[in-house]
Amino acid sequence: MSGGPAVRVSIESQCERQVQEVSLDGLETYVPPLSMSQNLAKLAQRIDFDQSSDSEQDGPERESREPWSKPEPEEDEGAVKFQPSLWPWDSVRNNLRGALTEMCVLHDVLSVLKEKKYMALDPVSQDPIQTPQVFQLISKKKSLATAAQLLLKGAEKLNKSLAENQEQRRQRDFNSELLRLRSQWKLRKVGDKILGDLSYRSAGSLFPHHGTFEVIKNTDLDLDKKVPDDYCPLSVQIPSDLEGSAYIKVSIQKQSPDIGDLGTVSLFRRQPKAKPGKTWHVKLEAAQNVLLCKEIFAQLSREAVQIKSQIPHIVVKNQIISQPFPGLQLSISLCHSTGEKRSQRASPEKSKPDDHLYVLEHNLHQLIREFHKQTLSSVVMPHPASAPFGHKRLRLAGPMAYDKAEISSLQQSEGLLEKIIKQAKHIFLRSRTARTIDTLASRIEDPQIQAHWSNINDVYESSVKVLITSQGYEQICKVLSFSVKRP
Amino acid sequence: MVCVCVCVCVCVSVCQVPVAEGKSVQQTVDMLHKKLEQLGAVKQGNFWVDCETYQATGNATGQPTKLLYVMHNSETPLSSMALFEGGPGLTADANFDVLMVKLKSHFQNAKGHKVESRGTRYRYCDFLVKIGTVAMSSSARGISVEVEYCACVIPGDCWNLMKEFMQSFLGSSTPELPAVFTSKAEGLYAPVDCMDTMSQYLELFGKVRKQQVLAGSGVR
Repeated sequence: MSGGPAVRVSIESQCERQVQEVSLDGLETYVPPLSMSQNLAKLAQRIDFDQSSDSEQDGPERESREPWSKPEPEEDEGAVKFQPSLWPWDSVRNNLRGALTEMCVLHDVLSVLKEKKYMALDPVSQDPIQTPQVFQLISKKKSLATAAQLLLKGAEKLNKSLAENQEQRRQRDFNSELLRLRSQWKLRKVGDKILGDLSYRSAGSLFPHHGTFEVIKNTDLDLDKKVPDDYCPLSVQIPSDLEGSAYIKVSIQKQSPDIGDLGTVSLFRRQPKAKPGKTWHVKLEAAQNVLLCKEIFAQLSREAVQIKSQIPHIVVKNQIISQPFPGLQLSISLCHSTGEKRSQRASPEKSKPDDHLYVLEHNLHQLIREFHKQTLSSVVMPHPASAPFGHKRLRLAGPMAYDKAEISSLQQSEGLLEKIIKQAKHIFLRSRTARTIDTLASRIEDPQIQAHWSNINDVYESSVKVLITSQGYEQICKVLSFSVKRP
Repeated sequence: MVCVCVCVCVCVSVCQVPVAEGKSVQQTVDMLHKKLEQLGAVKQGNFWVDCETYQATGNATGQPTKLLYVMHNSETPLSSMALFEGGPGLTADANFDVLMVKLKSHFQNAKGHKVESRGTRYRYCDFLVKIGTVAMSSSARGISVEVEYCACVIPGDCWNLMKEFMQSFLGSSTPELPAVFTSKAEGLYAPVDCMDTMSQYLELFGKVRKQQVLAGSGVR
């Protein structure tokens, strides 16, 4: 920058010479620099004669030479260290002398070889090692035999354990079966008998049937004969009135009932799988189902008799008949077959195979289970010892001075029968509505009617969307959306 | 269980109808029934209201003993109401009666003082009319008429309507606005309680009890 005054910068060269001594008066004596010959000697000393110029090719040679040549330069260095007054060219001279010696020897050997009188070059013969084949075979065989033996031993062990398992499974120890039974059913020991409970009482049912079954040990196994496949050391004895299988048949018929026909619906439509040797699991489940059907039917018949309605319900033997609409008959019957009498399969039932409304049967099962749950629900239990059974909110009825309307809204008013009749009514109304809409749609050409029934329906309500369009007029479209509500 | 709550109730007016001259209690009641039926009301069952008196024991300081009244109403079948005259009231569960039995040492039941009113219920659109015979120890002492307007809970809004309705069949015996409504802090515009109904009945029963001196003559 041309700003301020110029600054003097002094440059000194670095001192190249080493200081040999500093005298007492501050005078430094420098080591005199090496002369040319001295410099050359120093550089020559650093030459390593063992290292050739193309060192990569001679790698292995160099390495083989190294073990006995390595100590050499060290010795030289040591010699140089210990006797610094030795002539600096000494190592160089020695190395050169050694190289010369070697070269002379090599030359002599080559010249002797050339004459071929006293020395000859011969390649080293390399005989292939020929092991006899028999020996190979034997050794291979031996090793294979050892391996095979190991594998065989392992396989034997596995086979043995598998056989044991199968044998065990076939024999099926009574106690292990009992354990399996206990994991699914409630058992208790009374004296020396083992009794079980297959009723729904623990699930909230109030049906007075005891539902007790007995567990029996099968000791009639003949060990000499072969164990049959379906042999089970454990068998259960269910109460005699729960034998066989049952289901509730719900059907809607158009004609009014013929009094003479009542009470004849005891026919079984389904094929009972009456195998003589049913396992305990199947037996118990069937018995439980029979019990549930009996409870449903008992509840329905009780309500049919007690509840007053405009058109009385008829209860005959195992059938309940009621009239949801005039001219329409709803019949609910309990079909219980013990499985032994198969000759009573009369043909009149076959004429209406699709009469049975599975949906309503399923709903009946659901309703009774709901009823069970209500006795155990958290709304009811736990409750204070002084309060009566019923909805939790009823306990507030006193202090809140509920009037009769509020109290009745909290209490259950509808029974099983009423509910199922309403559902049957709904089913009938829905099918009739659908049929009417379809007839209208097919009959009327203009405007066009389309009905879209919703997939999501209630047991008491369904909804359909009716589109009425006029062809050619996209703007004119009436949409009707209505639901078939509970009557 | 024993808690005082505000509940939604309807506007009720309870009054006493004097027995007509020259007629018995029953005949007056029948007259009222006929009038209501002519009006177009529909009979809807029966009702009863009763009141038991309990005397608080243990008042040695010479103060007049406090009387506790335990009342029941068929409209609220699961409740019992306990009140002091002009004092606080309590709505409780039906088990309250059992509690009173347990408190025998503190509250003695004055058995001769039980008053009850029984009769029929009539419904006329939004109005519920209950005509009952007030009886004390099974002798008829008077007639109680309860008029309930179900659509409203604030007396200030519907008192005039109720008065007009009552005039149509009670004629000159139409009562004035019950003191219970005017004595409240918010006046006429506070929503009613079932306690108000019971207080009105209590007043009526009190009047009937006082009348017992003259009841010997049969007809007042």
